[in-house]
Amino acid sequence: MSVPDYMQCAEDHQTLLVVVQPVGVVSEENFFRIYKRICSVSQISVRDSQRVLYIRYRHHYPPENNEWGDFQTHRKVVGLVTITDCCSAKEWPQTFEKFHVQKELYGATLYDSRLFVFGLQGEIAEQPRTDVAFYPSYEDCQTVEKRVEDFIESLFIVLESKRLDRATDKSGDKIPLLCVPFEKKDFVGLDTDSRHYKKRCQGRMRKHVGDLCLQAGMLQDSLVHYHMSVELLRSVNDFLWLGAALEGLCSASVIYHYPGGTGGKTGARRFPGSSLAAEAANRHRPGAQEVLIDPGALTTNGINPDTSAEIGRAKNCLSPEDIIDKYKEAISYYGKYKNAGVIELEACVKAVRVLAVQRRSMEASEFLQNAVYINLRQLSEEEKIQRYSVLSELYELIGFRRKSAFFKRVAAMQCVAPSIPEPGWRACYKLLLETLPGYSLSLDPNDFNKGTHRGWAAVQMRLLHELVYASRRMGNPALSVRHLSFLLQTMLDFLSDQEKKDVTQSLESYTSKCPGTMELITLPDGLTLPPVPFTKLPIVRRVNLLNLPASLRPQKMKSLLAQNASTKSPFIYSPIIAHSRGEERSKKIDFQWVQGDVCEVQLMVYNPMPFELRVENMGLLVSGVEFESLPAALSLPAESGLYPVTLVGVPQTTGMITVNGYHTTVFGVFSDCLLDNLPGVKTGGSTVEVIPALPRLQIGTSLPRSAHSLQPPSGDEISTNVSVQLYNGETQQLVIKLENIGMEPLEKLEVTSKILTTKEKLYGDFLSWKLEETLAQFPLQPGKVATFTVNIKVKLEFSCQENVLQDLSDDGISVSGFPLCSPFRQVVRPRVESKPVNPPEGSKPGDSSHVKTLEAILNFKYSGGPGHVEGYYRNLSLGLHVEVEPSVFFTRVSTLPATSTRQCHLLLDVFNSTEHELIVSARSNEELILHASECQRMAIQVDKFNFESFPESPGEKGQFANSKQLEEERQEARGLEINSKLDIRWRIPSLQRTGEASVEGLLNQLILDHVQLAPLQWDVLVDGQPCDSEVAACRVGDPIRLEVRLTNRSPRSVGPFALTVVPFQDHQNGVHNYDLHGAISFVGSSTFYLDAVQPSGQAACLGALLFLYTGDFFLHIRFHEDSTSKELPQSWFCLPSVHVRALEAQA
Amino acid sequence: MAVCVAVIAKENYPLYIRSVPMENELKFHYMVHTSLDVVDEKVSAMGKALVDQRELYLGLLYPTEDYKVYGYVTNSKVKFVMVVDSSNTALRDNEIRSMFRKLHNSYTDVMCNPFYNPGDRIQSRAFDSMVTSMMIQVC
Repeated sequence: MSVPDYMQCAEDHQTLLVVVQPVGVVSEENFFRIYKRICSVSQISVRDSQRVLYIRYRHHYPPENNEWGDFQTHRKVVGLVTITDCCSAKEWPQTFEKFHVQKELYGATLYDSRLFVFGLQGEIAEQPRTDVAFYPSYEDCQTVEKRVEDFIESLFIVLESKRLDRATDKSGDKIPLLCVPFEKKDFVGLDTDSRHYKKRCQGRMRKHVGDLCLQAGMLQDSLVHYHMSVELLRSVNDFLWLGAALEGLCSASVIYHYPGGTGGKTGARRFPGSSLAAEAANRHRPGAQEVLIDPGALTTNGINPDTSAEIGRAKNCLSPEDIIDKYKEAISYYGKYKNAGVIELEACVKAVRVLAVQRRSMEASEFLQNAVYINLRQLSEEEKIQRYSVLSELYELIGFRRKSAFFKRVAAMQCVAPSIPEPGWRACYKLLLETLPGYSLSLDPNDFNKGTHRGWAAVQMRLLHELVYASRRMGNPALSVRHLSFLLQTMLDFLSDQEKKDVTQSLESYTSKCPGTMELITLPDGLTLPPVPFTKLPIVRRVNLLNLPASLRPQKMKSLLAQNASTKSPFIYSPIIAHSRGEERSKKIDFQWVQGDVCEVQLMVYNPMPFELRVENMGLLVSGVEFESLPAALSLPAESGLYPVTLVGVPQTTGMITVNGYHTTVFGVFSDCLLDNLPGVKTGGSTVEVIPALPRLQIGTSLPRSAHSLQPPSGDEISTNVSVQLYNGETQQLVIKLENIGMEPLEKLEVTSKILTTKEKLYGDFLSWKLEETLAQFPLQPGKVATFTVNIKVKLEFSCQENVLQDLSDDGISVSGFPLCSPFRQVVRPRVESKPVNPPEGSKPGDSSHVKTLEAILNFKYSGGPGHVEGYYRNLSLGLHVEVEPSVFFTRVSTLPATSTRQCHLLLDVFNSTEHELIVSARSNEELILHASECQRMAIQVDKFNFESFPESPGEKGQFANSKQLEEERQEARGLEINSKLDIRWRIPSLQRTGEASVEGLLNQLILDHVQLAPLQWDVLVDGQPCDSEVAACRVGDPIRLEVRLTNRSPRSVGPFALTVVPFQDHQNGVHNYDLHGAISFVGSSTFYLDAVQPSGQAACLGALLFLYTGDFFLHIRFHEDSTSKELPQSWFCLPSVHVRALEAQA
Repeated sequence: MAVCVAVIAKENYPLYIRSVPMENELKFHYMVHTSLDVVDEKVSAMGKALVDQRELYLGLLYPTEDYKVYGYVTNSKVKFVMVVDSSNTALRDNEIRSMFRKLHNSYTDVMCNPFYNPGDRIQSRAFDSMVTSMMIQVC
């Protein structure tokens, strides 16, 4: 006996063993079809008794095991069913012969046998035979079950007769010694008459009868026999059989206690009939008691009845605890015999099954531990595998899943042991898969995403490596790639650097043959392997959807936006709405992407590997919108820190786009990583609205690009910066090329400008343009270019105020308005001279020669295509950086009264701050050439201005501005007027540059007063001729009439005035001779009186003079100093001086 | 005397495992892993007993050909498993007990460290050296 049956359980002791075998050529399919049908007849209630017979079918049974049939009768083959194929009558004798041969094999033990013949029809088939059944085909054999039942009944009859035969052996008859095969030689020459020997024979026979009773369904009888047998055998130290008797006792008790069965598979097979079995057991018990009650049944046994068995009827059946104790004892007895290893092993297995039912795992594990050490003869590899698998199953049964996994793995390894010529990689792989739960390993990577991995990493890694290897040897590279990726993904933290290298190398070599996919792999046995995305290669820490660059960012038309906001809610603020919106916003991002434009998503990634990681084909996974992903390839350095990666794509349709994740190809494995499954990823929302396509505008300018970028306060970004260097006062044209580089026609364009706050005061329009010409070229089709011209005019201060004031205050002459006779005086006073004299003054021009900058932004709002219909536009900004170099400076300004009271001289000290020769010209074509850093005075004769004739600033302005502002405004307006009159221009011939110069900023009230036409207009008429700066001629001796006329243009009445005429002579050397009493006489009074003059009224006074000598005389008309005149400004009383030339009286 | 010492978390994953013959580490991993079945069984059997009467020492978990595996479980269900050479007959149950107690004390010290995250692998040097001392005593 060498082949253990690991599937045995205690209940098998009550079964009859029937072997079903094919004879001749029977296809496996057909055989098993019939075999199954036969097997279905596993228990039979014997007619006219309440006993139940259990049958165990085997299609294969080693004959050497049969030899142990006396030891335990359930090991004895008592029935043989042979199945054969026979097509013709000719073959029949041959077939029948084979049947007999087969019968011979188990001949000694067989009670009965049957032959089922399929396919044979005709004469032979019609003969009624008990041992042969004929069926026309495998399909047409309804009576098989019936035949089997009949067969079993015939077996029962034999069994029953044997039982009765053994049980009723007369005590006088010599009881034969039953023995197991290996004992036979031991008993040769033994004294058969000794008491000892007799007892042994009795004990063994009792045990045998017990077995038969058990098989015949007489449980209580068998218990009694077993008990007696134990007593007998114990006394003669027949340990092997004692063990068997104890085991029989245990089996019977187990059958009594656990009618549901202890064997996992067999129990399950019996399950449909379990209610029947239980019923049978219930019915059986009273019957058994009946037997017990009838003492005659025992006394007729012939063997000395052991009365103790009857007394302790309750003791007959072992308690559950006793069962285990007796099993232990039995096993210890078996252990004494090396040849009974199989019996011991099977007993262990049976005990474990019982313990599993009792849920006593600890003891069961002890039995199993013992079973592990039972050394059978050299086992074949297949048997080893079977043994380990069974051990694993049993451990599983008692809930030791780790131990079970361990043995399963050992079994798996045994399948591919190097000593096996044809390693069963498939079986190995299958067994390995079964170990997974034992090692708490699931093949779904999602289970590992939650938190850090906790488990027996070393053990799990080993198992995964084995899975990889087994699947590779199985010739399923896809499977090994999947396992290897799983290993890499989930065990990354536990792999050493060298292991990481090895694993990735082998992964790469596998994937070169079979790339890893994202598909579910389904194994033949139904297990599915979910895909393994490499979320850790590289690790993504942050996902940010990026807005479009500022120049491409779409903006909603204001009016539409307002409308939207108003329709959303009638409340300006409501906490409820804000709350719900906040949640919404957490997913949705409040910027838009544009259909057809490249969108970017930035990932912060890092490489956990100790070597460079090549990530290929990295792209976005999105939903909601048709999206063209543009995959990127990147190479991350070893153990890199956070590394930004930008993934791009183009949305092809409009709607809400959601970025779900990204896909990569690493080591040849494709992965789709969903953001939801990634632990520890920060994302600022993943949903963005895609709006319809808009055109794209590109700007090219005639000016060079600027390195200097503007920092606008509003946060707008400026796409292009241009810079230009200009001299103060210069004007330049900026030509802007507008190119539509998008796919949509550009329909709308609006241009606005913004000058960034600057401290410099700017005169005139800095930027001016005409949009109409450009708009005439619209709509601009894709690829077309339009031009747009902007004039840049820089006009900054040409001086600084303090400088002017200072100069004016020390130049008293100009202010006082003394009548200087020099009509056109050009004071040449080079600055160089004055510099040492007045250092602070000299430093000022140097100071203001500092280059000033002006910055402005040109905003182009444009729209077109479907986006325009939706109300979106784009904004493109052009930054303009202008460096203004000073050209000329007016270091001081003063006025000189001209000879005519209606005119005056404006004296400008012009300083050339450039390094070039510069020509300044004023309104007239007077040109002044200035060398570099030269200062010259320039006098310009101007007509006085009648500012009152200007229209007052419009009423609406006056409403807002206070008086001071009004005053300033008025002053500005005056400055503009003066400037336009002056029209000062400069020219740098060497650079061919020209520009304007403005005095606007220089003019203060004082000067304005001077250049203003006084509201009191004084006219002096000599001899009826208005006299102003010209020489009036008269004759000596003739009285000449002098009339002073006043026209009041001021809004108030003035006067009365008293005027005195003071004549004097100018000696041209600074000496004025006022002592002219002898030379001139007044006709009448030298003092004139003027009455008060109403506004816009006129007054005049008359007098006469008589010149006594010839000569040049001047008349200085002086006001009497009275109170009224003091109220009015001095300049109002600027009377023209009168120059009279007295000539010889005509002869 | 011990050839392998392991600390296993309540959720049955190793917090610490160290064995003396480094070359055959995996064997001890398997050994300790499978011993958990027995520990589980013993603990569940013990669960019925009163808490204060509970014996922390689980005794011999199972013997193998060359080694004996002993177990110990704390009240917070952290398990200590020790593998000793079965040839070393000098080791009595009492000595094993005291070794476990030492291990438990040292483990308590580790847990008292405010910088230790319960559930993480034990990387304490003090604990390590204590385990080393337990292993070296015989070797």
